[in-house]
Amino acid sequence: MNAAVAQSPIVSITNVTKDYTLGKVVVPALRGVDLQVHPGEFISIAGPSGSGKTTLLNLIGCVDTATAGVVSVAGQDTKLLTERQLTHLRLHTIGFIFQSFNLVSVLSVFQNVEFPLLLQRKLDKNQRKERVNQLLEQVGLAHHARHRPNELSGGQRQRVAVARALVTRPQLVLADEPTANLDSVTGQNIIDLMKELNQKEGTTFIFSTHDAKVMSHANAVVRLADGKFLDRLSPAEARRAMAAGAEGH
Amino acid sequence: MGQLRLLMQVAFRNLFTSKINILIGGIIFFGTLLVVVGGALLDSMDSAMSRSIIGSVAGHLQVYSDDSKEELSLYGGMGGEPDLAVLDDFSRIKPFLEKHPNVKTVVPMGTSGALISSGNTVDLTLARLRDLYKKRAEEGESPALRANIDSVKSHVRQMVSLMEEQRNKSRELLSSAAVDPLEAEALARARTDAFWDTFESDPFAALEFLENRIAPQLPDGDLLDMRYVGTDLDSFQRTFDRMEIVDGQPVPQGKRGMLLSKFYYENFLKLKTALRLDNIKQEKDLNQKRIDADPQLQRWVKENQTQTREILFQLDPIKTRQAVERLQKVLGKQEPSLEKLLSEFLTTTDDNFDTRYQQFYAELAPLLDLYRMRMGDNLTITAFTRTGYVQSVNVKIYGTYQFKGLEKSAMAGVINLMDLMSFRELYGYLSPDRKAEIAELQKNSGLKAVDRANAEEALFGEESGNSLVAEATPGLIEDAKAFEGALGSLRRDDLAARVYSQQEIEQGVALSAAIILKDPEQLQQTMEELKQSSKAAGLKLRVVSWQQAAGLIGQFVLMAKLVLYFAVFIIFIVALVIINNAMMMATLQRVREVGTMRAIGAQRSFILSMVLVETVLLGFVFGAGGALLGSGIMGALGSAGIPAGNEALYFFFSGPRLYPTLSAGNLIAAFVIVLLVSAISTLYPAFLATRVSPLQAMQTDE
Repeated sequence: MNAAVAQSPIVSITNVTKDYTLGKVVVPALRGVDLQVHPGEFISIAGPSGSGKTTLLNLIGCVDTATAGVVSVAGQDTKLLTERQLTHLRLHTIGFIFQSFNLVSVLSVFQNVEFPLLLQRKLDKNQRKERVNQLLEQVGLAHHARHRPNELSGGQRQRVAVARALVTRPQLVLADEPTANLDSVTGQNIIDLMKELNQKEGTTFIFSTHDAKVMSHANAVVRLADGKFLDRLSPAEARRAMAAGAEGH
Repeated sequence: MGQLRLLMQVAFRNLFTSKINILIGGIIFFGTLLVVVGGALLDSMDSAMSRSIIGSVAGHLQVYSDDSKEELSLYGGMGGEPDLAVLDDFSRIKPFLEKHPNVKTVVPMGTSGALISSGNTVDLTLARLRDLYKKRAEEGESPALRANIDSVKSHVRQMVSLMEEQRNKSRELLSSAAVDPLEAEALARARTDAFWDTFESDPFAALEFLENRIAPQLPDGDLLDMRYVGTDLDSFQRTFDRMEIVDGQPVPQGKRGMLLSKFYYENFLKLKTALRLDNIKQEKDLNQKRIDADPQLQRWVKENQTQTREILFQLDPIKTRQAVERLQKVLGKQEPSLEKLLSEFLTTTDDNFDTRYQQFYAELAPLLDLYRMRMGDNLTITAFTRTGYVQSVNVKIYGTYQFKGLEKSAMAGVINLMDLMSFRELYGYLSPDRKAEIAELQKNSGLKAVDRANAEEALFGEESGNSLVAEATPGLIEDAKAFEGALGSLRRDDLAARVYSQQEIEQGVALSAAIILKDPEQLQQTMEELKQSSKAAGLKLRVVSWQQAAGLIGQFVLMAKLVLYFAVFIIFIVALVIINNAMMMATLQRVREVGTMRAIGAQRSFILSMVLVETVLLGFVFGAGGALLGSGIMGALGSAGIPAGNEALYFFFSGPRLYPTLSAGNLIAAFVIVLLVSAISTLYPAFLATRVSPLQAMQTDE
């Protein structure tokens, strides 16, 4: 933990605000958030619906831009990057895991996982094959490489998504509610898998959830409320705080 | 590589998963089919028609004077013959055109038309009789001549009695006021035995009475419109190798003469009864029509029943007797009237038609002149010249001809061929012979040439002692009196025997010239080059392709093509809109997928390629399907041929069947069009796809 702090942060967010305009009404989603994430961390972002969890993840994932403030990913200020450069940053630095898996339905499991490698154009065919198979092995789907996503269960699909997110060996993996569409046991498995990869590969994970069980695997729980940074707690503290919050209601 | 393969795979797998794609594919499939089949058909028709036009009269190119007020139209235009200025001296133009390396031959031409009359049957028979008496006056009477005279005489007598019969019949219909008493009186006199008994004492007076009082009572034969092309017949036949002589012989080299089109000969000069029988047979045999069901056939049968006069007048008493006997035998009746027998014989039904048809040609035809003109006959053509006066020329009919494959085409069939010399005279230009003849006449009659500027002085001036009224014009010259002097002996009959040298044929006016090229592929280029060089040489020539030269006909396929391309254009515009909409829907359906790809790190260019590859593949697969089916259809049509249902189509099909071929060009054109249309119609949806935000991937299902 201390070693991690000593390194420069992979994500640095300083006083970021984000407004959405719905018609003529301006809806603030984030109202000045600061957050630093260091390499190797396994961070959960928690908060009730509408607290800005997804918005924050989108900003970190470079799929959206802040209204004000600085979002810096892997040392680069995202405001200064062009669309192309942002895409490039996403491809090489960030892995995505989606709540509803978002696999390409016409491609096989293997092809889905291979997809980012093809976009990267860094590895040749054999290297790609080796890497994909290795990842499929790790997520336990080596025997399903030729299947189409619709032949798999939800948990299996999400594992394919995890493999796809990690196949490029990104520094950072973002997961927005990765377990929301899964039953609790399967969700647990996915989190275990993520945690395992985090520890083995040292990949930084930032995921949002409102499942307290899921949170308990995190190094730290960042709590948001009404678009503002509330606190940064250990999982145990977070559980207590949430229990108290629940009593308070 | 890997990316492209992936794109192809994505595209291919998406191809049949989406209903929208099947819809788009269907449109592309039928679009391609239409372009392939329609294009190939029209191209085949175009080339067939070009063969018809090039091979009949037009050649590859036509040149004519640039001073012409209207455009050349070889098959006639909306308002008759086009107003063309003449090419003064073909012999100057020919070597100039032949200098071009791609020009094979140049054939001089002129197209014009005249009305010809088949004449009055009584008149014609009387003329024959007069000739016979003339012969008797000159050579004395021989038994053969006597027999001949008697036969024709009895024929005339029979005609008179036929006229009387018809007169009596029509009297029942007409009021007495409508009957000219003088006519009745003349007819009555010609019917008396006394008239015929005294015939021999003064045959010429009797003939004159018949010619002046009887013949005019019979209406003239109908007037026929006749189009002819005056040309260097020899060169024409060598150049247009589709031409073949059917009856008779070709016009001997350098001679004056005509070749009638076989189609014209059959359809306009044949005995009407026989023609109607032929027509009924053709409709029955070829088009499986039935007399009891088809009003047209019924009309022909009815006309054959009632219009027997042509046959009755043609037959002299001997032949009439033979005809009566034969018909009585055939019909098994004792009816003595030929008219009634004929009427009954020609009352044909579906059951007896074939036997009657056969019997007509076996029994009756040998007694009849089936055609108004026979090979070797002289035809007098009277035409209005360009300047408006009337010119007559006698031309010998040497034979009939047809263009192979175009036998039944009325379009090609209306063209009769004539030597260039006769044509020039009919068109109002004097041949050297005519000039010499007129000069001789002027000399003999004491006329002097007066040009227009001096006309007044010559007519009314001090020295105008001589009468300027012509004492001898060609029409008034006594037949028997021979001309004096060498040139004066060039009478019209002699003209027919005169052989003209190639130089004489070529030195003179022509209206246009057909050019045959060595390499027809270079038509456009050669045309341009000839235009340029003739301009440079100051020749004032208009050079046009066969297509333009054929006038409206030549434009027909072009117009059909325009219509097809317009239809294809409309279809593809509609297809464009539909494909565009469908692709928009497809893109919207795939927003999450595209968004996910963008989030994962796909650039916009990748998304663009993805959509384009998909559409192009779609176009390719379904286009290939359409092209394949189209090729199959064309292959089947190509071996079976498309029958030319009606005779007008023979010309466009260049024969009775069109055997369409599919060229690589048709396929390539179809493919290019299809790919272009599908690519264009996807541009906007593809653009939209690239604008899909990666944020779309983050949305949840709820």
